[in-house]
Amino acid sequence: MILSLITLIFCAPDLIINTMITESKNVVSLCINLIAIYAVWMGILEIVEKTGLSEKLAKILYKPIKKLFKIEDKEQIKYIALNLSANFLGLGNAATPSGIKAVKSMQSNLKQTKFAMLMLLVVNSTSIQLLPTTAIGLLANAGSTNSSSIILPTLIATIISTVVSVVLLIIYNRFKKSKNE
Amino acid sequence: MSSYIIPILLILLIIYGSIKKVNVYQSFCYGAKNSVKLVYNIFPYICAIMLCVSLFRVSGLSDLLVNILSPLFNVLGIPQEVCELVLLRPFTGSGSLSVLESIISQYGADSYISRCACCILSSSETVFYVSAVYFADTKVKNIAPAITIALIGNIVGAIFSCLLCKIM
Repeated sequence: MILSLITLIFCAPDLIINTMITESKNVVSLCINLIAIYAVWMGILEIVEKTGLSEKLAKILYKPIKKLFKIEDKEQIKYIALNLSANFLGLGNAATPSGIKAVKSMQSNLKQTKFAMLMLLVVNSTSIQLLPTTAIGLLANAGSTNSSSIILPTLIATIISTVVSVVLLIIYNRFKKSKNE
Repeated sequence: MSSYIIPILLILLIIYGSIKKVNVYQSFCYGAKNSVKLVYNIFPYICAIMLCVSLFRVSGLSDLLVNILSPLFNVLGIPQEVCELVLLRPFTGSGSLSVLESIISQYGADSYISRCACCILSSSETVFYVSAVYFADTKVKNIAPAITIALIGNIVGAIFSCLLCKIM
């Protein structure tokens, strides 16, 4: 941030405020869009929760999540389960509200959940979606003859990137633990 | 195909809710109401992050970074043409999408570069945006290691995207 500002002062000082205001405007319209998108998804998610479906989902995913995230709290596992399932379906925007809820519910006992939080961030920021719908749509629009040919390489690449990150985080956690002891 | 999955799931959900005697309408409204609060809470963090990103781009530092890093990426097998996409991806979703669009229109939809770029975009995520949103409004401070790890993961994903597109 400071580096960019310093460079700008030398190159184009009048751009600074303009850029900041324009970008801020963009963020406001982004947020209005987000309100709309989240309203739909959070409404649906609320139905999912009220019907008890999310508990069922959490039960199915309980063991793997417990292993990977090293937490036991039912509530937290429920939100993480929702978050992961939405991610798998490629519904990034539906995943975000439950992800935020998961982080919030983990806040109360930070010491135990620190690792789980970092894991949630890593898994969410390496993308685990099954079908790259946006990219396929773009390719098909541009007149690609075989737009679905990217599905397999994308799937493999995204699995590799997620696995690499998860393994790195586990190694980092071990390393830090052994340092503390 | 995929455009049918979500609506069908939705219909099933509403039917299931009615069987379970859940007030579907009221639940939906309650959830939707919370979206305003949620966005209200995360707005300042998104705003701050996006301001930094846009200043970084306008100042030309991001181009500089592309120039510095592209030889390194070339060694790793990532073609010059998609370097900008790889570097921009962690910062902005819409920005990288527009880069992808211009790559596709420039090189053609069936070219190796376009397919490669699509793979990279789909196998990565906007790391900084995600971390700003998820950890907005929490007391957790030290998330830098997780961000670094996620960035490494995304670059590994990009390397494999290029490799896999070549052989598949």
